[in-house]
Amino acid sequence: MEDFFGNIGRTAGEILAGLSRLTALATQVAITFFRGFFEHKLVRTRHVVHQIVLMGVDSLGIICLVGASVGMVLALQAAYQLRQFGAQLYTGSLVSVSVTRELGPLVAAIVLSGRVGARLAAEIGTMKVQEEIDALSTMGLNPVQYLVVPRCLAFLIVLPLLTVIADIMGMTGGFLISSLGLHINPYLYLDKTFSALVLKDIYTGLIKSGLFAIIISLVSCHEGLAVEGGADGVGKATTSAVVTSIVLILVVDCLATAVLYYVLPS
Amino acid sequence: MIKTKPDTAKSIITVKGLVKRFGDRAVLDGIDLEIPDGQITVIMGGSGCGKSTLLRHLVGLYQPDEGEICIDGDNIVGLETKKMNGVKRKFGMLFQGAALFNSMTVGENVALPLREHTDLSEEIIQIIVKVKLELVGLTGFEEFMPHQISGGMKKRVALARAIALDPKIVFYDEPGAGLDPITASMIDQLILDLSRKLKITSVVVSHEMKSAFRIADKMIVLHKGKVLETGSAEQIKNTRNPYIQQFVHGEPEGAIPFRQTSDAYLKGLLET
Repeated sequence: MEDFFGNIGRTAGEILAGLSRLTALATQVAITFFRGFFEHKLVRTRHVVHQIVLMGVDSLGIICLVGASVGMVLALQAAYQLRQFGAQLYTGSLVSVSVTRELGPLVAAIVLSGRVGARLAAEIGTMKVQEEIDALSTMGLNPVQYLVVPRCLAFLIVLPLLTVIADIMGMTGGFLISSLGLHINPYLYLDKTFSALVLKDIYTGLIKSGLFAIIISLVSCHEGLAVEGGADGVGKATTSAVVTSIVLILVVDCLATAVLYYVLPS
Repeated sequence: MIKTKPDTAKSIITVKGLVKRFGDRAVLDGIDLEIPDGQITVIMGGSGCGKSTLLRHLVGLYQPDEGEICIDGDNIVGLETKKMNGVKRKFGMLFQGAALFNSMTVGENVALPLREHTDLSEEIIQIIVKVKLELVGLTGFEEFMPHQISGGMKKRVALARAIALDPKIVFYDEPGAGLDPITASMIDQLILDLSRKLKITSVVVSHEMKSAFRIADKMIVLHKGKVLETGSAEQIKNTRNPYIQQFVHGEPEGAIPFRQTSDAYLKGLLET
């Protein structure tokens, strides 16, 4: 019994401590970001662009693949149910709305938490183990300013952009399956797709993906900076970065959807 | 070789009453020491005596629980970040594993402090990088990646990076660790050259006796978080202290017993 409650207490304590460290890092990143507007050389554009290439361009392929397959599967499953009401035509509306509002941002975030989040945690963790972070700080370069801020900023630009691509690919996948596989009239399908979409669907999706970007980059950099020990520590940090990111993404997704639903009624 | 007497030079680093505890254990237990300007000071001691921890305090990576550390007139304990960055410009550090940035070329590694801390033009930076690499005997290695060069070369590149901003002081963490005797003695020669030619103050943390006696103007021996003895290389060599004798001659039996029970080890850790 004592063990049981002790464990609950310890776990809760660890979670709270983790959250407070994460908030501390977030505050530091935010301060550096805003100071960057006024101070010369604080945030280097060169580093941000370099990270955008590493994170974004290299993830294009996987995002297109995942986006298209999600759209296809969604169209097939939707048509299967809608056929019972003779409403197969509305497959286009369903695919476009659910992809832009929910699945596009979510799937892009989860795929990139594996691809980019793991990379960030492993990269920064290895730098920590090899004393490179200490070297930066003895050179008078703040690791948060030099490493974390450019990565967070780059990811905040990259993830919404990739989300748009995932949205487009999802709708394209749905369109291809519906017109080629389900024999829905392509013109009618496109018409339904665009008449159902409103601007709000797209920007709520993008707001969410911005939130996900902040979560993934902060969590991954934090895990990397917190690495202790050698290769073992890096491995643990990488796993923990991906798992924590995904859990937080799902929680924040629920909250954000609810807030956006009530705050911005259409 | 003519050696100036340690006592005559003025101190550039002064440490007073430095205490650092990790949990209950005092890793540094009231350290007082002075590092003379323009000379080579070797801090020695067995594994776990606190010498690396001491070095990390000197460069501002750790904050002590008590005591003060003055570098060139500034007490760096609790110093605000901006002023601390000013102090950091006065020293460079060579890490045990070189700590080169693996995603950058050798040239970019050396250029990094120059690019971040100065407004020099790219051409001038390239010239300085060339000069610094030449100083450590690696002419023409600018375009190599760190994984393409040997361990000894990495350390030399790291040294070039540490002296890129012409610091007054260079800290070395186990400069000979993991190197073959020839490469290690090359690094020693570089430390001597930098000290004699450029009048750079060198603080070397090491447990390699041969190299320590070759380069040291002043030696400080640490044991269990305390300064055990201070003096010139000659004085340390001829000391009567049984622990230092065992250390200097590298004997398995002596003041430190060969066999250790885990209980005694743990008790020793907690002894303060």
